[in-house]
Amino acid sequence: MKRIPRILTGAAVGVLALMSLPGCVAEGYGGGGDVGYVGYVGGVYEPGGYEYGRWGSGYRVGPPRGGVRGSGGRPAPSIPRGPRGGSGHRSGNGH
Amino acid sequence: MLNIRTQLMDLSRRRSLPGRNGFASTRVPQVLCALLLAYAAAPAAVHAAMGAAVVLPALTQPASGEHHVGKVVWADLVTPDVDGAKRFYGGLFGWTFRGVPGEQNYALALLDGEPVAGMVRKASPTGQSMQPAWLTFLAVRDVAAAQQVAVQHGGKVLSQEHYYPHRGRQAVLADTDGAVFAVLAAEGGDPPDYLASPGEWIWSSVLVKDPKQETDFYKSLLGYDVYDLASEGGGEGDAQHFILSSDNYARAGLNSLPADSMRRRPHWLNFVRVTDAAASAKKAVALGGRVLVEPRLDRHGGSLAVLADPSGAPFGVMEWSDTDTKQEPQ
Repeated sequence: MKRIPRILTGAAVGVLALMSLPGCVAEGYGGGGDVGYVGYVGGVYEPGGYEYGRWGSGYRVGPPRGGVRGSGGRPAPSIPRGPRGGSGHRSGNGH
Repeated sequence: MLNIRTQLMDLSRRRSLPGRNGFASTRVPQVLCALLLAYAAAPAAVHAAMGAAVVLPALTQPASGEHHVGKVVWADLVTPDVDGAKRFYGGLFGWTFRGVPGEQNYALALLDGEPVAGMVRKASPTGQSMQPAWLTFLAVRDVAAAQQVAVQHGGKVLSQEHYYPHRGRQAVLADTDGAVFAVLAAEGGDPPDYLASPGEWIWSSVLVKDPKQETDFYKSLLGYDVYDLASEGGGEGDAQHFILSSDNYARAGLNSLPADSMRRRPHWLNFVRVTDAAASAKKAVALGGRVLVEPRLDRHGGSLAVLADPSGAPFGVMEWSDTDTKQEPQ
């Protein structure tokens, strides 16, 4: 019985010791303790004030339906068409 | 009281006599036992102390074990206003949100209770007018190798490889034109290929100044099979459109920026599947967003539009239906 308080005391000390390890203190998302992506200067954020621009009538960005031939004559593939299968949970992107 | 005093005196005597009872034989097991007990009793604290505080969900639950290099597998919105973004995207797509352990500045967006995107709160640098953006994550097998290949082919590493438990290893890169994207080696594998449901990401495009050079970059980095679709003109000069594919699926488009692109930065643009692009654009405006490109018929026969959320981050909405009777515009 005498050992129980000693072990509990040790446990408390252990928790405090682990939490106070300066080299192991958790960093924020991206690391380095900053908010967001640390060391990521001028990256994700784009300069303000730019216009998105005009897309002409022939400007295409969408995926082909399949069968559309590229310049080499090969039919370009389309995006995945099948239904979500299996019993697993969805997460991430299916495309 | 007396008992406690006796114990303290006893403890004091033991500390003043380090040789007594033999530290190795008595104290070490006690300390080890205490540490083990602490680890069991306070896993969150120990977990945090080991430097793994941010717990992002795995891309696939259970693990898929599949790998689809080059597939767009995730997107994070980097914005100074996560709360505003929640209201906007929640209203537009029906996303709901929850936090993640260990990070107050990150929120998960969910569709039908499953993660669909992330949102990172990042304040704009003081004195600078900057625009928030969505960060596109591409699947790789080896992040370190991807960093190396990117640099070898003229890209940059903007944020070095970092490991997140359950999620995997990721790094933020820029291509040779400066378009920013991330690579992710997912711990449990990549999501299987399936047709995205409304409210999920369905397509991505990278708009660059030099598409030919960029196809070489992405081909080297991710092993894409590249298809050069016929140039149809951008209205202000020819606009090139390449399809980047892997596993015999189109993974992303690669477009030249429209001719007056001197003022625009190359960037990745992600599209969420919607049932009605025009209605989504209207709703986005009602929620405080803007329409950057009006709804228009595109190559796949459905409509798409480019919108901006209230903080200015651009994203697309795109219709897709296998029963679509619309013809591809000529």
